[in-house]
Amino acid sequence: MIMANYNDDQLSQIFSALAHSTRRAILARLAEGEATVNELAEPFDMSLPAISKHIKVLERAGLIIQGQKAQYRPCTIDVTPLQEISSWTEQYRHIWERSFDRMDDYINQLNTKEKKDE
Amino acid sequence: MSKDAIVIERIFDAPIEDIWKMWTQPEYFQKWYGPKGFTIPVAEINLSVGGKRRICMASPDGNMKMWTTGEHLEISSTERLVYTESMSDEEGNILSPAEMGMPEGYPVKTEITVSLESLGEGTKMVLTHAGLPADSPGASGWNQAFDKLEEYLNK
Repeated sequence: MIMANYNDDQLSQIFSALAHSTRRAILARLAEGEATVNELAEPFDMSLPAISKHIKVLERAGLIIQGQKAQYRPCTIDVTPLQEISSWTEQYRHIWERSFDRMDDYINQLNTKEKKDE
Repeated sequence: MSKDAIVIERIFDAPIEDIWKMWTQPEYFQKWYGPKGFTIPVAEINLSVGGKRRICMASPDGNMKMWTTGEHLEISSTERLVYTESMSDEEGNILSPAEMGMPEGYPVKTEITVSLESLGEGTKMVLTHAGLPADSPGASGWNQAFDKLEEYLNK
């Protein structure tokens, strides 16, 4: 039985959808407002079917919603999956904050030293 | 196609005609196909050689839908059914495994052979899914589906 992605959690699907510069560019364009597939394809040297495939990948990851009207099917961005990535990142925040703390300490040390040298 | 294959043998407590129906009629196929908890919201089975298949499998929470498409290669009622299976989009356009985030080397097209043998009251079934390694998640998917089938037959 073909079981694509079923063993993969949603986060993997989101990351894998984002692991392509064209798809990130499409998202960036949609962050400015809705666009049709044709409009999305414009900046790229790529066939319409190729762009459609990228859109499908983004759609499956829940990052894009495509309208249902037959002729004019504008795509809009859905940021819910991005929020999931953000909360995933949060769990590591303390690590970089710790390094900021260390930097603070170091700057303080330097300042104290300078004052002494004065 | 690679030499990889999942082979599963089962004996069901139902006549061969019933098992054949379970495989070939959409309304029955939908009852058991897919891993435990998964549902089959769409099953189109055009039962003729060259006839297309279009199946949708949905995760238990309904959030994830996966479409597959294929074509019947051999139909010998009620003993042998052979068809292909590929990942696809909703319209049945084949998608590359890479696009679906599958590991490298995952085949674009796989082939399923169902062999049935009447044991009178019961039926011996041998499933061969060529193209997938024997220990791949697909094997446990099939086993869970056959458990569901057994459950359904016993109802």
